[in-house]
Amino acid sequence: MPGDPLRPLKVLLADSDPDRAAILEQRLGEIGDAIILRVPAGRNLIGAVPELAPDVIIVDMARPDRDGLDDLRRAGAANPRPVVMFVDRDDRTFMEEAIAAGVSSYNVVGAAFPDVKPIVMAAVAIFRKHQQVADDLTRARATLLERDNINRAKSMLMRQRNIDEPQAYRWLRRRAMNESRRIGDVAAELLASEGKAPE
Amino acid sequence: MTSRSVFHIGLLRLTDAAPLIIARELGCFAAENVDVSLSVEPSWANIADKLSFGLLDGAMLLPPLALALHLGLSGGGGPEPIVVPAALSLNGNTVTLAERWAGAILGSGIRMPAIETARRFRSLIRERAEKPVLAVVHTFSTHNFLLRYWLAAGGVDPDREVTFTVVPPAQTADALAAGKIDGFCAGAPWGAVAARAGIGRTVATSSAIWNHGTEKVFAVRRRIADEEPGRLQAALRAVLRAAAYCDDSANAAAVAEILAQERYLGLPPEIIRTSLPGATPDGDADVSVFLANAATFPWLSHAEWYLGQMRRWGYLDGAADIASESAIFRPDLYARAAISLGLPVPAGPRKNEGRHTAAWQLPASPLPIAMGPDQFMDGVCHDFVPFD
Repeated sequence: MPGDPLRPLKVLLADSDPDRAAILEQRLGEIGDAIILRVPAGRNLIGAVPELAPDVIIVDMARPDRDGLDDLRRAGAANPRPVVMFVDRDDRTFMEEAIAAGVSSYNVVGAAFPDVKPIVMAAVAIFRKHQQVADDLTRARATLLERDNINRAKSMLMRQRNIDEPQAYRWLRRRAMNESRRIGDVAAELLASEGKAPE
Repeated sequence: MTSRSVFHIGLLRLTDAAPLIIARELGCFAAENVDVSLSVEPSWANIADKLSFGLLDGAMLLPPLALALHLGLSGGGGPEPIVVPAALSLNGNTVTLAERWAGAILGSGIRMPAIETARRFRSLIRERAEKPVLAVVHTFSTHNFLLRYWLAAGGVDPDREVTFTVVPPAQTADALAAGKIDGFCAGAPWGAVAARAGIGRTVATSSAIWNHGTEKVFAVRRRIADEEPGRLQAALRAVLRAAAYCDDSANAAAVAEILAQERYLGLPPEIIRTSLPGATPDGDADVSVFLANAATFPWLSHAEWYLGQMRRWGYLDGAADIASESAIFRPDLYARAAISLGLPVPAGPRKNEGRHTAAWQLPASPLPIAMGPDQFMDGVCHDFVPFD
């Protein structure tokens, strides 16, 4: 019976990232009386919804099959419990943060949800954290890559022009300043023009 | 959330995203001093939610989805209303069936009218006593309504004799190969992808179901139109210039190369070219129109045709006032941009659909626009103005 206060909330977690899903599952399990369900391997989200009959769906927005949720939204013979996106109309910032973090949640109409906001908030926090870690990693990789390209471009210049390392670095820096570009970009371009693939 | 200095535009991995991608890649936005960031989104739902919560300023959108978002039938229910100041393309979809069905319908491969393939499909369904599963990319997609039109015109009841399901466009060919679906209606290049893989064949195209119907539109947050009209006009001019470039068949190879990049479609350019202007129709793809035929004009009659189809199939309340709900389409915003570029502007916001079986001249200012046929597969006329 949907909305029964004594019945635990059934939360379907549809996240394509296995690490994040594991953290989320654990965290959501701690929040309250909730049963966390996952989309079975090899099944798509749309097929899983009528089968598992969740009260709430927490969905990773990167999933292309989220488009099918609009189909389930319509009350129909195949699925008498349409879903609607959870929207907190009083808290626009929160909704924007959720969408920016790439997480969305759907309520299955017909159930009352006193507990849904803490669950969505926890999901948003985990998605944001995950995104931040991913961004940091991308940035760190880019910095390493740039450093490597600069070193390789310096070696190339030293060999070609018979100059020392400080001179090679000054050459790159001058060119970057003249063209208002980053040294890393100048180095990558130089390597590419010499047929050496920048990494 | 969005920075005022950057115009955030969302799109999907589809060939008819070409005008937006080209506007960015060939510097049309830059020439208008509009700093644009393009994001390739995984789903239409993402585009709808991000527009309605202001995380996107504009996006390519399906006309029925733009209308559903406006009517509160779809999307995140965010606070930002949208308007449609331009259309992006006409035609471009295919109804592609698994070989098991397509083989029996098409036989040796002689092309036949859409009404004939639909009737043969009906006979097969009854003969085999099966309920085929057909996929569309979204409930509020042009594909859903074009496929329903094709089925119904051939005598198939879309609500009883087939099962509709939703499959993302990029997964349609795989779903067909795995036997999870019997067919799909999707935009280019997915019909061509399935055909090349030998999984299925196209039995109808959108131009054969409704010739020169609007396929994708450019939607923006209404707040931008109201508060930053100059910036919207600049973005619209860039999109219209890019549309002209995309519509020139001489540029098809260059457009295909750009779209083929991993960060956009990530597919071989020769498959993308099968639906770009100048392509020889090969039966498995439908060629998109980007500028000719008043393709970029946001016709109220096109919005109203889709609203009518939404009502026909029970998605829209009978009491909804179609003529006022179509008002999110904004020919007035289009006209300003078109006039400043010297492009002709149609004399009225509506035209009758389905009355022209041959080339005709559309009254427009300063000069009439050469139009192609606009008939429907069943010959029915859908009238929106008293005289035409």
